Amino acid sequence: MTKSVRFFWRRAFRGRDAAKKRFLAGTISPLVLYMAFWTLFPLVWGLALAFFDYSPRRAGGFLGFGGGNPFVGLQHFQNMMDFSSGAALEVQQFHIGIKMTIVFAALVVPLNMLVTLPLAFMIESVHKRLRGLFRTIFFLPVLAPSVGVAIMWGFIFHPQRGLLNAIIGKFAGKLIGINWLGDPNIVIGGIPIALFAIVIAYIWQDLGYNMVIFIAALQAIPDNIKDAAKIDGANRWQMFTRIIVPLMSPTIMLAVVLTMISAFQVFDIIQVMTDGGPNDQTQVLLLNIYNYAFRYQKMGWAAAVSIVMFLLVISVSLVQTRLLRTEWEY
Amino acid sequence: MKKLFMLFVLTALTLSACGGGAETTQPSGGEEPAAGEKITIRVWTHQNDSFNAGYETLAAEYTGMHPDVEIVFETFDYDTYIQTLQTALPAGTEADILQMFGSWVCSYVEGGNLAEMPSSVISMDDAKAKILGAPIGGYICGDKLYGVPQEYNIEYGAVLFNTTIAEEVGATNYMDGWADWDEVIEDGKKMAVVQDGVMTRAGLNFTSSDGLATMFHSVYLQNGEEYLTDGIYTVNTPAGLATLELMQRLVDEGLDDPILFNDDENWVGDSYFAESSAMGLIGPWAIPEYSGDYEDVAATTIYALLPSAGAEPTFAAASGWGLTVSANSEVQEAAWDFVKFVTLDMDNAVEWNLASGTLPALAENITGANADSLVSEFPYFEPFLGILEYGEFEGQFPDRDFVWYEVAYPEVLNFLQGNATAEETLQTMESSVRGSFE
Repeated sequence: MTKSVRFFWRRAFRGRDAAKKRFLAGTISPLVLYMAFWTLFPLVWGLALAFFDYSPRRAGGFLGFGGGNPFVGLQHFQNMMDFSSGAALEVQQFHIGIKMTIVFAALVVPLNMLVTLPLAFMIESVHKRLRGLFRTIFFLPVLAPSVGVAIMWGFIFHPQRGLLNAIIGKFAGKLIGINWLGDPNIVIGGIPIALFAIVIAYIWQDLGYNMVIFIAALQAIPDNIKDAAKIDGANRWQMFTRIIVPLMSPTIMLAVVLTMISAFQVFDIIQVMTDGGPNDQTQVLLLNIYNYAFRYQKMGWAAAVSIVMFLLVISVSLVQTRLLRTEWEY
Repeated sequence: MKKLFMLFVLTALTLSACGGGAETTQPSGGEEPAAGEKITIRVWTHQNDSFNAGYETLAAEYTGMHPDVEIVFETFDYDTYIQTLQTALPAGTEADILQMFGSWVCSYVEGGNLAEMPSSVISMDDAKAKILGAPIGGYICGDKLYGVPQEYNIEYGAVLFNTTIAEEVGATNYMDGWADWDEVIEDGKKMAVVQDGVMTRAGLNFTSSDGLATMFHSVYLQNGEEYLTDGIYTVNTPAGLATLELMQRLVDEGLDDPILFNDDENWVGDSYFAESSAMGLIGPWAIPEYSGDYEDVAATTIYALLPSAGAEPTFAAASGWGLTVSANSEVQEAAWDFVKFVTLDMDNAVEWNLASGTLPALAENITGANADSLVSEFPYFEPFLGILEYGEFEGQFPDRDFVWYEVAYPEVLNFLQGNATAEETLQTMESSVRGSFE
């Protein structure tokens, strides 16, 4: 043991409160080691991968770097900026991934808010005995596994055996064979129908989560404010729009940001329902990362895309901290 | 406390880095066996009961003849097997013998992980003469051989055909074998069902990923051109246009609706056995896979040979499952001897084909008594045995799955769905695949 190490050891464990320090070290170190090995190390390794043309199939040097997996610097990021029609397929799919992820989040967030906020208000308005029942009913899909939800909605949207086409067919009086998840030619307002179908399934599963947050916020609004509004003659609609919504704005902001982050990270429901199809119309960024990392073993490229995605998510988080700053409370 | 925390973090990082480094240098395989010591050969395979039953029978025969050898099998489910190979081979922790699919072999050879076939086992020329071209193609990297295929993976050449539906609708051209595509189309049109403008039964479902990509490349070959020459992928040619034209015709004539029948909806295997497709383009592995659940459909199913667009019924095929030996194995000689016993002895090879329900890779097993025994066990093999010699290995791509599933299938499907012209499709395919070589 060198002199400096001995000095450090003495300072750390033999000074005052030595027993306390030893206890802290003993209890924290397993967790720190666990986090370092399973979280910090993969994070650092993943970051480093983005600067290599790395594939686990090729022999490399230390930790797989070098050798058959050469250092490429910022090459992956430069490639991402190639917007020409002759760009490599992975670059084109990355651009599609960015676009579809943003479109997906832009659809999910307002639709989710439009459904969950009034729903929470309505549930809170019913008789106390029924509130628990409604909360349970609407929260149950949150507990369902996403793959199960995706399979169920896949059956609903099936072109020939699907419930949706069967219902439309009953009204139309003829057989309907719309392929909601697989027809690239049906586009509404520039958005493919398959993406709408996934958004519906996603919101169906996710709405209970925000609903619970909103119910908690509704319950926190003091009764005297609502009573004052009633005395002033506010009806239910005015109560909702002029009193409830403004008072809940910090909670709404929180829900918006959390929903947006979760929408950016959508993966399983899309992989099962469309696997990015038809014609890459539902190819979101996380699916793109998964495909290139684990199907095609281009882990260097996938890591670079992951960094872009991380930057996207962190930007949203920064917006969150800014928007959630409130100067008042009730 | 901050210093303490940093100490732990640094210790953890050092430990994890050391762990990662050790993995890449760890020796594999057993120690060099001393004279008289029992040799243990470890074999890795993916979990497939019939495949592994075939291996175990042959291993028992082999160890009966070589009491000094012990063969230990370790199996993995398919997805885990792929991941295990991808991590174990660069790390050098793999078994002595590795079951591989032909199209994977060269990517592992690139990493220096697989042993070259010793000429004492079989020379390259002898291997090319003894083993059919398509399966052996996957095991040849550069001008060297790295293993032996045991089966012939075929996705094109014949289609599943529902004889009951054909009888009901009076489709009879298939009975004497289709002379040309006009006859296929005539039968297919009769067998397709369209109600209120919605196709409820496809006449010929050829628009799943494997079927569509393999059909494109096979018909391209039949049209007289090679799509991969010296590592350059070329399809934007008159042969490419003629190929897409034929596929488009099948859609226009109402045999298939590529929007309702593809990989995501009405996948060919499910769709055929659920009788929402009267014909389906899929390899012969589909029958054992589905016959348990769809006994009635399987009983009246045959494989009908497709006509060729050219002079010969050439087709592209993806090699097949076979055995390779690890470059890190300490018992390479014994490992190759076992591989030779299992794969190159015609009777042992066919014994494995019979156990696993696969088509043979050995040229001598597509005719004669061994072929007869295969046909008596699997009658649906008969049409395939006659065309196996026309198969060409689909080619050494940096990533074959990328070409098939990320380029060929989506682009051709997109064309058939009416979203791109033939020229645009071929151009995109060509540039995307060439890009994957860079």
